[in-house]
Amino acid sequence: MTLRPAAAFHGVDLAILRCASLLVPWCQRGEWWREWRSELWHVRQACTPSHGVLWSAENEVTLFCLGAFKDAMCLRGQLGRKPIPHATTMGSAAQCVFLLVGLIAMSYGVALLLPGVSSVRHFQHYRDARNLVLIQDARYPGDSTATISVEQYQSWKHRRQDLFDDFAFYRMTRESIYDSGHTAAPGTIAVASTNLFAMLGLPIRFAASGGESQRGMPRLILSDAMWKREFGHDPHITGRVVQLGTNAVVVDGVAPEGSWRLPGKVDGWLLASDTKSIADGQGFVVAHLKSSEERTWGENWLMAAPNQDGVMADFSCVSLAESTRGPLDLFLFAVFLACLALPATTSLPLGEYRVSSQKLSWSKRLRRWGFLGCKIALLLPIIYFVSLDLAYLHTTVNRTSSENLQIVSAFSICLFGLRWVLRDQRQRCPVCLRRLTHPARVGEPSRNFLAWNGTELICVAGHGLLHIPEMETSWFNTQRWLYLDPSWNVLFADPGLASASYF
Amino acid sequence: MAPEAKLSHTAAMILQAVNAGYVYGFSVMEMTGLPSGTVYPAMRRLERDELIRSQWEQQSIADAEQRPPRKYYKLTRAGKLTLEASRKRYPLLGKLIPSEEVEAL
Repeated sequence: MTLRPAAAFHGVDLAILRCASLLVPWCQRGEWWREWRSELWHVRQACTPSHGVLWSAENEVTLFCLGAFKDAMCLRGQLGRKPIPHATTMGSAAQCVFLLVGLIAMSYGVALLLPGVSSVRHFQHYRDARNLVLIQDARYPGDSTATISVEQYQSWKHRRQDLFDDFAFYRMTRESIYDSGHTAAPGTIAVASTNLFAMLGLPIRFAASGGESQRGMPRLILSDAMWKREFGHDPHITGRVVQLGTNAVVVDGVAPEGSWRLPGKVDGWLLASDTKSIADGQGFVVAHLKSSEERTWGENWLMAAPNQDGVMADFSCVSLAESTRGPLDLFLFAVFLACLALPATTSLPLGEYRVSSQKLSWSKRLRRWGFLGCKIALLLPIIYFVSLDLAYLHTTVNRTSSENLQIVSAFSICLFGLRWVLRDQRQRCPVCLRRLTHPARVGEPSRNFLAWNGTELICVAGHGLLHIPEMETSWFNTQRWLYLDPSWNVLFADPGLASASYF
Repeated sequence: MAPEAKLSHTAAMILQAVNAGYVYGFSVMEMTGLPSGTVYPAMRRLERDELIRSQWEQQSIADAEQRPPRKYYKLTRAGKLTLEASRKRYPLLGKLIPSEEVEAL
């Protein structure tokens, strides 16, 4: 079988056209492929001789086929592109919403990367935190110092109480954990009474069903960080016997991330059933108030009670409801403060256009208010995540400082964010919600009595002009919107004109 | 598109060629001297703006002549009005592609 040169050239031309057709958008590909093939037949008929091969003719046909690539690129360029001038998309409501959504995604992404944020977001409130108090010696400020001795705890626990119905104790100590021949992992261990977790209502992951307690060994609860760091996320950790200092203890579960909010950074809790195991030393006491409808206790109050020597002493009781507020509570508090401060920093009216010759339709008004609500709704998660990112950027910062930082940053961002929302809303066209552009100075201050003096902004779609007075006067005290009728349209960008010119 | 819409010279040439009877892509290319990468997209855009309309030839006719069917283009009413406006703007358009040439064939 011999291949005729003309047929070979035709095959090459078809291959070129097929390649070009692959560049054409899918929805138009079949139509263009059909038309090009049809035209190729006619081009070949018109250009090439009926017998033999003429190089110049084949060259002309090939040039026709190569032109198909230009067609295809032109079609691809037109795909999905509306002939709307840049001016009409710039500053649109959709652009604003996309920007805010982008900021949410970015701040949330950063929050996911920061371990401190992850810990605080998983925080769960303590059970009945309103009736839980941390008791400390009133002579020591703050809650970072351990001030209560084991004997003091014992005397309270065994004495009949009017105020409290239960006490729990913990004491911080440094110990090394040895796990079946592995190297020692030093950590901060809270030696605690067995009722501590039950009183706080802290959940325990992988908790044993009771079998391990029969071994008679002290139980160790690991922190989430220690479990991940030293035990490699082992889900079968419960029941394993490890060496804690010189004692063998059995692992009884893992405390979830962010669950511990009492003083001290803890890697594990050793739950000691008897006070001998707790040993001597100063620690912290958590007490549970008896439920009473007649008595209401504040967040921080003083109590006079006998110490272990029988001498009356002052003790401060700090409610855990106050000291274990979650990040959402702090965020809402900061937003509330910012809302209170907002009227002092900017005017709240949105520039209701009282001198308007044209009433906006209900749908346009609704759209405008909906856009304002949407901006505020999108602003709140940005404030929340950015304030968390800033507060927990460094894990070395203590919890109180982080909370203060979160409140300050959430308040600042919320205040400036709300100011921006109002200012942005005032400078948008009430008809199309695009940002007004082309500010121009109008008038002079000296002519304020006869005319007005201020800034004029324009809607690029030609809906009107906004006049903002520089000096508020009794006859021009707020911004005014001047609607333009359709006779002005010739001056403004018209998307239809863009398609009227071809090349 | 409005009849008074502005057309570039190239688009006006294509419109004039179609009006003159060069009713398929290759013949428009031959008449105007424009390359294929220009003519076909331009004709699509003219069609999109309803200045011309296209129609595939019946398969039976193409089969009888042993060739593939081809796509024919025709001016719409709006296209004729636009061409009239373009002729005023480009007075030499009629001389470059005279309508009589094809009509005489």
